Amino acid sequence: MKRFKIAIAAVASAALLLAGCGGEPAGPSSDFDPNAPVTLDLAFWGNDTRAGFYKNAIAKFNEKYPKITVNSTFLPFPEFWEKRQIEAAGRDLPDVMQFDYAYLRQYSQNKLLLDLKPYLGKYIKTDGFTESTLGIGVVNGVTTALPIGTNAWAMFTNTALLTKSGAGAYTGATSWDEYATWMGSVSKAGGGSVWGGTDPTGRIQNFEISLRANGKNLFDDAGAAQFTKAELAEFWGKGAQVRGTGATIPTKRLLEVAPKSGFGAGLTTSELTWDNFGAGYAGDLGADASGLALSAPPVTKAGAKDLYLKPSMLHAIAANSEHPEASALLVDFLLNSQEAGAVFGTNRGLPASSTHLAGVKLDPLSQKILDYETSIKDRLGAAPPVPVVGYGSIEEKFRQLGEELGLGTVTVEQAVDQFFSEMDTILKK
Amino acid sequence: MVTVPTPTGTPTARGSGRTAERRTAAASPAGEPRRPGRASGGAAAARRETIAGYGFLAPWLVGFFGLTVGPMAVSLYLAFTRYDIFTPPEWVGFGNFVRMFTDDPVFLRSAQVTLEYVLIGTPVKLAAALAIALLLNSITRGSGFFRSAFYTPSLIGASVSVAIVWRAMFAGDGAVDSSLQILGIDLGGWVGDVDLAIPMMIILVVWQFGAPMVIFLAGLKQVPTELYEAAQVDGAGPVHRFWKVTVPMLSPVIFFNLLLETIHAFQVFGSAFIISNGSGAPGGRLNFITLYMYKRGFADMQMGYAAAIAWVVLVVVAIIAAIMFRTARSWVYYAGDNR
Repeated sequence: MKRFKIAIAAVASAALLLAGCGGEPAGPSSDFDPNAPVTLDLAFWGNDTRAGFYKNAIAKFNEKYPKITVNSTFLPFPEFWEKRQIEAAGRDLPDVMQFDYAYLRQYSQNKLLLDLKPYLGKYIKTDGFTESTLGIGVVNGVTTALPIGTNAWAMFTNTALLTKSGAGAYTGATSWDEYATWMGSVSKAGGGSVWGGTDPTGRIQNFEISLRANGKNLFDDAGAAQFTKAELAEFWGKGAQVRGTGATIPTKRLLEVAPKSGFGAGLTTSELTWDNFGAGYAGDLGADASGLALSAPPVTKAGAKDLYLKPSMLHAIAANSEHPEASALLVDFLLNSQEAGAVFGTNRGLPASSTHLAGVKLDPLSQKILDYETSIKDRLGAAPPVPVVGYGSIEEKFRQLGEELGLGTVTVEQAVDQFFSEMDTILKK
Repeated sequence: MVTVPTPTGTPTARGSGRTAERRTAAASPAGEPRRPGRASGGAAAARRETIAGYGFLAPWLVGFFGLTVGPMAVSLYLAFTRYDIFTPPEWVGFGNFVRMFTDDPVFLRSAQVTLEYVLIGTPVKLAAALAIALLLNSITRGSGFFRSAFYTPSLIGASVSVAIVWRAMFAGDGAVDSSLQILGIDLGGWVGDVDLAIPMMIILVVWQFGAPMVIFLAGLKQVPTELYEAAQVDGAGPVHRFWKVTVPMLSPVIFFNLLLETIHAFQVFGSAFIISNGSGAPGGRLNFITLYMYKRGFADMQMGYAAAIAWVVLVVVAIIAAIMFRTARSWVYYAGDNR
């Protein structure tokens, strides 16, 4: 009998162990006390530089709300989303997230994000935003995210490195051929240790702006692709030509320095990317940003409105958060406060909230971004539709195929077929 | 089996009968008077014992069914569906499998690099393990030290830190590249090289030969020395002795190691993930099947497709294991078999 009792005890303790999970998330409550001790999880993507900024901003936040503890974690962009996807499956997302436009539709439609409407005005001030910037985070009539900042596609050049290698500066807004010629001249001067740039055909955004120059987007409102196999083959074909001249950094070198880009590793003098990447590049290069310059990307068709402003990133609160009010206070601080503005500068894009922007001491780099976005006004067109569900995977597939083309492990024709087959599978959902 | 005749001339069935009696006696408390209806009381005791037995098994059974059998059954179901985690699974029949073999060149290439890695890496690793085990078996001083020293890499080899070190060592102008340049061999970095990425991974796995080495060493200690002496008397040289005595006597251990290491090699993930930054680069050469499955599942949210890949891998590994067992009959020698 004694053994029987022990066995029962063993079963009971196993059951207790298994029952360790559970608990319903609390809804918005009217008797929220900001001075009650609460712990929040905050997740963002970025590098050490940005992590330092978040740390400082959270310290400032804690001066106001000392009882709200914020645990922050960060990862590079692709891993950040892998982790979020797993958490989403278990409805266990961090309370506050830095969010990307490409995933907004998917997460919102699946009710993973908190409806922010009851918190707007009360916990999250909205007077710093314009009507249109507030509308960015609205999916199917529900506000699930607020934009942190906006950014535009741009060309970064490393003037310090250019001076050292003795090559001339890039003037901006040339033709693609002229850009390739310029890259070639830098690579020649660099003598195998510095290159003019990275093959631009490896990034879907460069394909996008060349489509937009002809009045099309990657996808239409209904989520159908607006480009043909022939157009993509032509685009990738141009990449092969540029790589063939030795103007761009070999893909092999890029793989060795990843996750840094060739530009961030100080191996190339130019890179096409979003205009808020400057501080990150400076951090990667271990130099200050004074040696970086911004200019307009090459022009596909004169007079075309190929560029656009998009939310660089947004803030969202998880629907599973147990502390939505405290999370809302943190979001408000990170989005609107002058203190946070002073800390972040333009690291997360040009601030969308005017009160946040007021705090930004326009350091030379931020000033460059502001000047850049002013300078491309004539090239800015309407933003494309909110990205299709799975856009993140499509973008990554494009990047991987670009890499394989660079290594010569696939032909342009094979790459185009693979891309379309992949895209069809993703869009079939 | 040998039957021992008992004094009465009947084969001994009584012996076991006695043991059974003793066992029952032990189960009932000593000195307790035997009551009528003892038989049903014994049955109740046996039942209690059964329940107690299952009770003790329960924590393991819950884990086995809840964490192994259950998820496996679900993944088998998911393999026939399209499932993105966010929306309910949608039945697609054999669609995932058809796609895998007809419409997914990345899968086929991933399978190819995995097989390349397994088929080259495993034999090389075992050869290295056996060679070092033979060396250690022949020395008398310091063998304990060397055994530990050679075993250590297999403990830390699969760790993230070693993968990071590997990546740095094999990058352009890294330790390996620089050393080879001193010897006049200029291969450049291995990490981003389509042809050298798999050799780099094979070196990493071969370096972890410690675990099979220890097993080989134990096997070598079991080979009777008189066999070597007899062979020597017959004029067999060291090479002959190795092929005619060591290998046959060691064949069960070789078979065991081969099976284990082959299955283990199919599971390569962490180091490939870290070295390629999670992408399987360069050109998909490190996109091993486990990595590809992970990316399909957790980056692309194609859980159904990932589950289908998992089942294909399971079946392939099972077939390879079955072939090994089949062929083992012809080359594995068990010393006790030929009595």
